[in-house]
Amino acid sequence: MEEALRPRLVSAEKPGDGQALAAASDAELTEACRRGSQAAFRELLSRYRKPALALAYQMLGDAEDAEDAAQEAFVRVFQAIPQFRGQAAFSTWLYRIVTNTCLGRLRRKREKVSLERVSEPRSADSPSQQVTDALMTRQVLSMMSPTLQTVLLLRVEGGLSYREIAETLGLPMGTVRSRLSKARTAFRKLWLELSEMGDG
Amino acid sequence: MLACRLIQKDLSSYLDGELPAARAARLEAHLRTCQRCREEMAALEGISDQIRAASRHLQVSRDFDQRVLRAVGYYQVTRAERRRKPLTKPLVVIALILLALLGMIRHFFSRTLALPVRSPAAAVSGLAPAASGAAMPDRDRSQR
Repeated sequence: MEEALRPRLVSAEKPGDGQALAAASDAELTEACRRGSQAAFRELLSRYRKPALALAYQMLGDAEDAEDAAQEAFVRVFQAIPQFRGQAAFSTWLYRIVTNTCLGRLRRKREKVSLERVSEPRSADSPSQQVTDALMTRQVLSMMSPTLQTVLLLRVEGGLSYREIAETLGLPMGTVRSRLSKARTAFRKLWLELSEMGDG
Repeated sequence: MLACRLIQKDLSSYLDGELPAARAARLEAHLRTCQRCREEMAALEGISDQIRAASRHLQVSRDFDQRVLRAVGYYQVTRAERRRKPLTKPLVVIALILLALLGMIRHFFSRTLALPVRSPAAAVSGLAPAASGAAMPDRDRSQR
């Protein structure tokens, strides 16, 4: 199968021929990347930049930090791709790298970040309900423990299955299940608390 | 109450479609009779939408790919970019020269218009006849 793929992806190195790449699966692109295909790496970047950025943003709460983290994660992906043997889906592997990158950044500045977020004004210029909700969501996520926050974001933002989350975080499936349940309950509780604070 | 507590533990997995079939059937049967658990499920259901909505506005910056590709050594300046670069500098230089010229012209005219107006006597005594004639043609004509 690999032999059949190679000409298709090699031909995609020619400028203007993006169709073969667009049709290729993640596994095919990863394989081509391992063989040194720049075009395949560019295609993976274009497929996953937005979800990787969204996950990083939800974890870090700052768009600029999220960009840096997502970019750092892609560089790590590039560096580690020769060792990637396709044991997991590319997306699972990428999200694991994004998660670890963000957790590392959070560990370095968790205290400062959470204080800033909590003190963020909720309705400085009477923003729309959507903006207020988005700000509150960010606040709630930042107040959750990193373990609960991570499983919830991998599920909701990354769209990973329980098995994939378990692989990503190196946890048993049962733990993922119970953490997700706790994470949702915690989210709801914090949301209600913040809503009451805002009303009162 | 105990049933509710057990059911609520499973709601999250049920919403994710990750609950084994037998437990899912038991949960559905309970939901049909329990208003409180239905409300709890509706509240949990909204969380995913709320979280996704919080990142919906997020825009990937234009140079996102470029920065990654540069970091991994894959970034090459394209022909179009090479062509674009040399054009920028001359355009800026031309614009600056034009601005400087405009400034000089404006300065020159503002000085000319600001010359003090001499009295006719001073003009007659201080200027040559040709020059004074050029300055006040109407008066000269009436005197003749």
